[in-house]
Order: sequence, then structure tokens, then C-alpha cells
Amino acid sequence: MNTLDMLDVSLNGRSLATAARTLQGLLQQQGYELGAAMACAINKQFVPRPLWPERALLPGDQIDVITPITGG
Amino acid sequence: MNPLTDTTKWTVGGVELGSRLLLGTALYPSLQILGEAVQASGTDVLTVGLRRLQPEQGGGNSFWQRISAMGKHILPNTAGCHSAQEAITLAHMAREIFNTAWIKLEVVGDDYTLQPDPFGTVEAATVLARDGFQVFAYTTDDLVVAMRLRDAGCAAIMPWAAPIGTGRGPVNPGALASLRQRLPDAVLVVDAGLGKPSHAAQVMELGFDAVLLNTAVAQAGDPVKMARAFGLAVQAGRAAFEAVPIAERASAQASTPTVGTPFWHGA
Repeated sequence: MNTLDMLDVSLNGRSLATAARTLQGLLQQQGYELGAAMACAINKQFVPRPLWPERALLPGDQIDVITPITGG
Repeated sequence: MNPLTDTTKWTVGGVELGSRLLLGTALYPSLQILGEAVQASGTDVLTVGLRRLQPEQGGGNSFWQRISAMGKHILPNTAGCHSAQEAITLAHMAREIFNTAWIKLEVVGDDYTLQPDPFGTVEAATVLARDGFQVFAYTTDDLVVAMRLRDAGCAAIMPWAAPIGTGRGPVNPGALASLRQRLPDAVLVVDAGLGKPSHAAQVMELGFDAVLLNTAVAQAGDPVKMARAFGLAVQAGRAAFEAVPIAERASAQASTPTVGTPFWHGA
């Protein structure tokens, strides 16, 4: 794939170039199990699960994927 | 009847609860011990955190599977958030994952003391309550901040007894007593800083509705036994509050009747 087709984004604080065009595409490409207990935000804005397939990625997007951990 | 259960139920965030002890899930030696401590404490509510999930971790989350199987009410927190916006976003993410409107709102104001940011906390609480969340707001023992949180529509106001994880117990019991006195209708939960069951009993005797603990149980020499000890202390403190303790007196007053005292023959 032409590097011009790649988008530079940040996933959980790590920079990466991706050919994915949607949030869900990126999650699948990165190997996430979509049914897992997790939630997503882009640029510190919550993206509800039903919107994952249609949320287009833009250059510079900062994506956070979170899951439950121990906590007080 | 078991006298240790002879205390009234309470309601928070639209849910009636039997136990007045809320328990954190961090810092236990193992998931097994966490599970045993939860059972020993008698708690109905467990707090959990949220952190980044890396793809190499896969979708399996043994911690969450274990916790969800316990069948307790889940209170997710926004620990680590440094602004109202971060906390608001994380609350929405938590609501989707846990399918609950409950959120333990934490906005850190100082990384050294982990003192909550009162301005960010009130700002986030106002937005979240408007968005339909049941906000359990972690705060200091400042009365006016607590009033603002009440006015924002928080389900519970949760002042610290001392900074998180210190185990010092109530460093300013007068301020806690003032909160209870000035906010008689608010749900007040002491959150953070307790180290011993006597600390929990002390704040429950002041009339606090509940206590939220983590480190004091998880890091104890025997977390399971300590969980039970805290459960008993919370019950004892609540029962004492409901029983209305006597007023303190400046001078001694004999408890044994003085009439008929032997060997007394007058002057």
C-alpha cells in the first residue's frame, strides 16, 4: 500500500501509521477482540460502541481504548 | 436475630443496600484473597478502575470476569483524571462498559497528596448529574465544597478522612462532624485514609452513611480477617449512632447508686 494512504494516529499513547479508515477498522487491524469489556475515546471524547464502525479516522487522532482493572 | 445486622438499610444512587461498607478491589495479594475478603466483609459494592487496554492483552480480562461473577454492585472510578473533561469522558466510557449510571468521581488536584481538585470535581459533578449519572463524589472535608456537590445533585458526597492510602484515620474529625451536622439529608460516605476498624467505627458513630475502603484491607497482614473486622466495625459504629451515645460530661458521675452506700454514717 502506498504510504500516502496511511494515516498517522496515536493509539493508547503510541504513534502508528494505519491504513484503517474507521475506528472499528483500526481496532480489528490491531487485534482487539471487539466483544471485549472495553470502551473507546478519540481526542478525549467518548465514542459509543455503536459508532465504532462509522467513526472515520483523521490524521492526528488520539485514540484511547480502556478496560476494567482493580481500583479503589 | 443477629444483633450485628440490626441496623437500618440505606439507599444510595437509587439502590437499597444492606452493608454500609464499600470495598475497593486493588492491591490484594491475589484475586483469590480479594474474593475471600469481599465475602468476609459483607459488602454489596465494589469499586473498580479503568486503564488502557493494549491489543496484545487480548480480550480476556480475568480480573473483570472474576469481579462480575461476584454479583456485587459495581462503582467504577475516574482515578487518575486531572480535569473535569477527562473525568466526564471516562465516566461515559465506564457507563458503557459496566452498564451502570454509578460513577465514583475523582479529579486529582495534587499528585503528591492526591488531594482532589474541588473546582474540577464540582464542574464534572454538575455535568454528569445532568447527564443522568449517579455521582459519588470524592472530595476533601471542606464544608462549602460539599454543599456545592450536594447542589450539583450528587448521589453521595465522599470526604476523605486522610489522604488516600495513608491509613491515618480521621485527621480532622471535627470537620467530618460538621459535614454531617450541616448536611443532614445528604448521603455522606467517608472515603480514603482509614487504617483500622476503630477509624471506621469512629466515623460511623458520627452518623456517616457508609465507609469506602481499600488499602486498609488489601494491605493488611490478613486481608480476609481485616475485611471481616471492618465489616463488624462499620456495623458497630452505625448501631452506636442509631442508639444515640451519651453526652460527654466535664466531671465524674458515679454509675453505682449512692443511696445505701455501706459504712456511711454521716458527719
